[in-house]
Amino acid sequence: MAQDPFESEALTYIDALYRTALRMTRSEADAEDLVQETYIRALRFREQFTPGTNLKAWLFRILTNTFINAYRKRARQPQTAELDDVDEFSLYRRMAQDGSAAGSSDPEREFLDGIVSSEVKDALEALPEKFRTTVLLDVEGFSYKEIADLLAIPIGTVMSRLHRGRKFLQQRLYDLARERGIAAVRASGQQPD
Amino acid sequence: MDCDDCLEKLYQFLDQELGPSERTEMARHLEGCADCGDTVVFQERFLKVIRDCGTSDLAPAELRQRVAERLRRDVPPTTA
Repeated sequence: MAQDPFESEALTYIDALYRTALRMTRSEADAEDLVQETYIRALRFREQFTPGTNLKAWLFRILTNTFINAYRKRARQPQTAELDDVDEFSLYRRMAQDGSAAGSSDPEREFLDGIVSSEVKDALEALPEKFRTTVLLDVEGFSYKEIADLLAIPIGTVMSRLHRGRKFLQQRLYDLARERGIAAVRASGQQPD
Repeated sequence: MDCDDCLEKLYQFLDQELGPSERTEMARHLEGCADCGDTVVFQERFLKVIRDCGTSDLAPAELRQRVAERLRRDVPPTTA
């Protein structure tokens, strides 16, 4: 029997749905349940999906709504510091200054090359909830308009959440990089400044 | 376009969300401004790192199997 195109296409989004669920719930077991529930609902309401339209966005809408209704209350909340009131590009300037002071010829490259995958995943999970979902949808390749439609928010709100979310990620990853640098200096027997 | 306008629209530029005329203006500013150019290059590379690392997880094989079976059966589940 030939496979239904809805079913075969729906399955291609399972990795994206799972990792988004994982970042939202911060629990592998909850992420699996959330993804399974998303597909169950998709099948139950599939007559509401218009063939030829954006199935990926439709599945993500079900995922985010299911998360808000069923999981958000019990999802572990991250310990997050408030963002300070500086613009999102100030970190880049600070990095250049810190790097020059430490004698680095290319501090931006050292910072970017030193970032490891687990730190990025932790930073994404640590994002304050009010902009975490927007950032996660952006990471999965949705446009501003698609995110706005999916979350029923204005495009201007999508843009401001992305600005703040990206600033948070940079600050968090840069702080980790500095800690690594200080640890490396300590390990080599020198005094960090 | 000055540097403030450029930084304000930087993410829209990198996210391919600017219209053609703003894109052209931005490109023209970047050709003549090394500071903004450096910031754009850094932000572009930073966003790539986030996307590459943020999309590296795959669904567990057992979950994929379970969902695939449910999709094949295409029947509403019974809840426990």
